[in-house]
Amino acid sequence: MAEIKTSRSKRLFTTGGIAFLILGIALYFLKAPMGLNRKIYDLPVFLIIIGICFALKGFMAKDKTEEEASLAGKTFTEFLTNNAILLAMLVLVIVICILQPRFMQIRVALDILTQSSTKLIMALGICFTLLIAGTDLSAGRMVGLAAVISASMMQTATYANRFFPDLPQVAVWMPIIIAILACMVFGALNGFLVAKYDMHPFIATLAVQVIIYGACSLYFDMPPNNSQPIGGIRPDFAQLGQMRLLSGIYQGFPGISILIPIAVVICVIIWFILNKTVFGKNVYAIGGNREAAVVAGINVFKNIMGIFILASCLYGIAGVLEAARTAGATNNYGNGYELDAIAACVVGGVSLNGGIGKVGGIIMGVLIFTIIQYGLQFINVSPMWQQVIKGVIIAVAVAIDLTKYRRK
Amino acid sequence: MRKVSMTALILALILAFSQCSFADDVKIGSCIYRFSDAFMLRFRNAMSAETEREGASIFILDSQNDQTIQDQQVDELISSGVNVLIINPVDRMAAQNIIDKAKNANIPVVFINREPPAEILKTYDKAYYVGAKAEESGTEQGELLAAYLKEHPEYDKNNDKKLQFVMLMGENGHQDMILRSEYSVKALKDSGIVPVQIVGAIANWDKLQAMNMMNAFIMSIGSENIEAVIANNDEMALGAVEALKANDYNKGNPEMYIPVVGVDANASALDAMDRGEMLGTVLNDADGQGKAAVKLAAALVSGKDIKSDIKSLGYEITDNRYIWIPYQKVTRGEK
Repeated sequence: MAEIKTSRSKRLFTTGGIAFLILGIALYFLKAPMGLNRKIYDLPVFLIIIGICFALKGFMAKDKTEEEASLAGKTFTEFLTNNAILLAMLVLVIVICILQPRFMQIRVALDILTQSSTKLIMALGICFTLLIAGTDLSAGRMVGLAAVISASMMQTATYANRFFPDLPQVAVWMPIIIAILACMVFGALNGFLVAKYDMHPFIATLAVQVIIYGACSLYFDMPPNNSQPIGGIRPDFAQLGQMRLLSGIYQGFPGISILIPIAVVICVIIWFILNKTVFGKNVYAIGGNREAAVVAGINVFKNIMGIFILASCLYGIAGVLEAARTAGATNNYGNGYELDAIAACVVGGVSLNGGIGKVGGIIMGVLIFTIIQYGLQFINVSPMWQQVIKGVIIAVAVAIDLTKYRRK
Repeated sequence: MRKVSMTALILALILAFSQCSFADDVKIGSCIYRFSDAFMLRFRNAMSAETEREGASIFILDSQNDQTIQDQQVDELISSGVNVLIINPVDRMAAQNIIDKAKNANIPVVFINREPPAEILKTYDKAYYVGAKAEESGTEQGELLAAYLKEHPEYDKNNDKKLQFVMLMGENGHQDMILRSEYSVKALKDSGIVPVQIVGAIANWDKLQAMNMMNAFIMSIGSENIEAVIANNDEMALGAVEALKANDYNKGNPEMYIPVVGVDANASALDAMDRGEMLGTVLNDADGQGKAAVKLAAALVSGKDIKSDIKSLGYEITDNRYIWIPYQKVTRGEK
């Protein structure tokens, strides 16, 4: 029995994948003659991609042992609850595709990935603070700080309302480093308050959040700028967030935003730090059981400082990229980003009790969130409903997460 | 510290005034709700310049965004002997206090920028208001767009004789958001265009939100179906411009152009207009308002009959106590 079951699941993926693949290829060649171009857009390409992924998964899947297989059969309902958010998202995507077929475009998928990129960088930063059962409320304001600082030094020489009228055209990397360093100073303050005084991260980062916003507003209000939105951004800086790679390799391909590879590189680095370094292991250890970590001789002070500084560095990067992408900045940039990032982490399986969370899960969480948000915007759901839906997703995700651990 | 500097300032004021005390000298005392406000900075500069032209004197104090401080400052200005007040209230609902103080001293008071409620203003016959009508910014914006569309009939990409536009709105319920959204469309209609709002979204005055939303609209509605973008302020207009540019619109190719209009005339918007990325914006005329406030104050002190003789002042007085300064359209090439 078990033998048949395992091969069945393997066969399911393989045959399903190949079916998708064939359907995709067929549609690809048939859509023009059948006049479906304006009805299904790039659906065939998506089908082909999904087909390849499924087929690969089917081929790669190992034959499970008898026990695992029967377990997999029993827990089918569990599978449904565990992946409720993902399934809900799939349903939503299908509904959106029916309501507005334009959703099935490669450029939409790329746009979603682009918008996910900065959010992902934020979420990767904040996940460190969540892993030690903490939080970081100052993240959003750090984004604003980095955006304002970097934008203020990156204006064209001819712009009428320059932040620093006498500043020469400095190298692009300089303001970026300054902006990120400024964030890291505040990150160190976060870490110091938490590590030295054993302050709850919620309060420590709340205090720092307010300080950062005040400081950023003071900077932003300096004459001659006087709180005017910063504009006239140099094109070479804006390119950092707006450049498109491989655009035009075929007719109508919009190109891949440079933000996507940046986010991928950061993902790889963070994955490496979390899984392959002593620091990463310490983060999980402190989050899992702080006392045990102390007994085991882990320097908690140093590690907590490291966590908050690393996190703030990532917020700084996100802030610089936001400034570049929008070619501008105000002190209100990043407002509320931390809550989106925390929510994405939680949906991606990071436990607020600390010690549990994977980079892969966070990527999923951010993508799910962005797809839902983008999709709702796409079919023009009222922003008030969007808020309600977002809240429900967070609540459901955490509820599922908690029941999962209770079961164990 | 604040007390000391304030006393010093008042002393300086008294000294300054006592040196030149002709009977009908115009001595203006003014409070600005917050000096660091960019708009009020231009307002102040305009008032100072006009005072000099009039040969009057003016003392302007920073109320530091605090109504209690402003109330004290009004007392101090009155006791230092000014004969007219120009007040930019911190809290427009708290204007009664200031009116009472002016009434007791029997000097005229001109409110600027933030309009006190009419029932408060009419409790004193020497209380005036100089400002701009909020709905006018929307009207001017609509007219500016209409003028462009008439010159460029090719805007009608689907040839249905209607204007399909996207509206980017400010914070929900904000007075400017409501009035600008309503009157920009009304002005379009009045100039014979049939506007059809394909989508209206609240982007909270924010460039980033506007950019993300506009991006989604370009994908979902299709850029070929959008014929114009109307934004409640310049920042949101610039967000839309960035999204359009990312989709190769508004980069100089006349085939790929969607007109975008905003309100504020901030530096970034003027910059974008110079590059042809944005069609136009509407300026809340700080210079004009500052000038009018000082002219009115001077006329009130000298006792000219400004109400019946319009020419003596150069501004029309509405309802016995209002001077409305129009918004100004700003389009490409002007600054």
